[in-house]
Amino acid sequence: MTEPVVTRPVVTRPARGRRAAVLLAALVLGVAAALAVLPLLRSGHADADSPEAGFARDMSTHHAQAVRMAMDIRDRTGDQAVRTLAYDIATTQSQQIGMMTAWLDEWGAPKTDPRGPMRWMGHAGHGGAQAAGAESMPGMATPAQLRALDAASGRAAEVLFLRLMITHHRAGVEMAKAVLTRTGDEQVQRLARSMAAAQQSEITLMEGMLAERSAA
Amino acid sequence: MPTNERGANRPRTNALTERRTPWGGIGFFTAVGLVAVAAVVFAFLQTRPSQADDDIKGVVVHDGLSRNHTTDPVDYPDSPPMGGDHDPTWQNCDARVYDAPLRNENAVHALEHGAVWVTYRPGLAADQVAALARRVRAVDYSLMSPYPSLDAPIALSAWGRQLKVQDANDSRIDAFLAKYVKGPQTPEPGAPCTGGKDTP
Repeated sequence: MTEPVVTRPVVTRPARGRRAAVLLAALVLGVAAALAVLPLLRSGHADADSPEAGFARDMSTHHAQAVRMAMDIRDRTGDQAVRTLAYDIATTQSQQIGMMTAWLDEWGAPKTDPRGPMRWMGHAGHGGAQAAGAESMPGMATPAQLRALDAASGRAAEVLFLRLMITHHRAGVEMAKAVLTRTGDEQVQRLARSMAAAQQSEITLMEGMLAERSAA
Repeated sequence: MPTNERGANRPRTNALTERRTPWGGIGFFTAVGLVAVAAVVFAFLQTRPSQADDDIKGVVVHDGLSRNHTTDPVDYPDSPPMGGDHDPTWQNCDARVYDAPLRNENAVHALEHGAVWVTYRPGLAADQVAALARRVRAVDYSLMSPYPSLDAPIALSAWGRQLKVQDANDSRIDAFLAKYVKGPQTPEPGAPCTGGKDTP
């Protein structure tokens, strides 16, 4: 500002101009690089082997069995407390399956992993030969236990349901906590936290209900 | 004084007042601009889902299948059927291996719920059957059964999609499961694989 504008031809390129140009260029290139790299980072979720995708898939399978058992017990008992709990579990977990399925859709990740469940938690083997079945997932009721539940009624069915669901929920809480240590995704964290808290409180409720029925 | 060093010793230049056309600068910033545009285009392409590049070789597509419920027998154009009218009760498809043939009308309802139905010609070698069963037991929303009139050793069916293969270790089997279990072809997403028909 203090100097007059010089119109004299310049022989050498001014150092300050060059520095500004280099700085600007670096800025533009930096922004461009960030633009190019960001989607790549974000698409990490789309990876079929990411913990988020594994959790969404396996928790969906896990939830589906809880829904099935909850629907079963509602057909097998008239006890209002158990029926209400079962209604809560069936509707809540169906809804959560929908949420997790929508994530997988959004991430473009497959809804199943034919190599077997729980690999994101470090369980089971890789490759086809040792692929574990869904019933090998922690807390899942075996086909025989499900048949026993279908065959029982009244108090016996309630006790069996409560035992199976407590085991099921405990594993569910563990899975939810496992993904919390493996993900930075906020929507995954939010749902996993709510699952862990809700299922933990239902475990306490079911333990009380079981004690009432076993003691009698 | 250090504060005046640059200003005092060098004349100030200004792109607006300078007489010569600054070709160097123009070229330089054009190059930078091109790189920036290329990066934005690349980023845009990255965010687009790539659907077309994972086509599985040999998959037969049958679109426009009807979806009415009926307790009557249905005459299906495909064997095994990959969709069409079906029984109100679905066949349970919770990673389930059946060792007897299923009723088409119930199995087709499972396809509507997003399941993949693995069928094999009776007489398939025991190790091949075991390899298929291992896959199915690992995959919720899949079911497996023998299919007497099958014209290939193995067929995989999803709603409107079918793949026939010769070998249980064909890598397209996993690809088909990954793509079509609860896949985009599912007419009724969110519907269950339990609570239906539990026996053949």
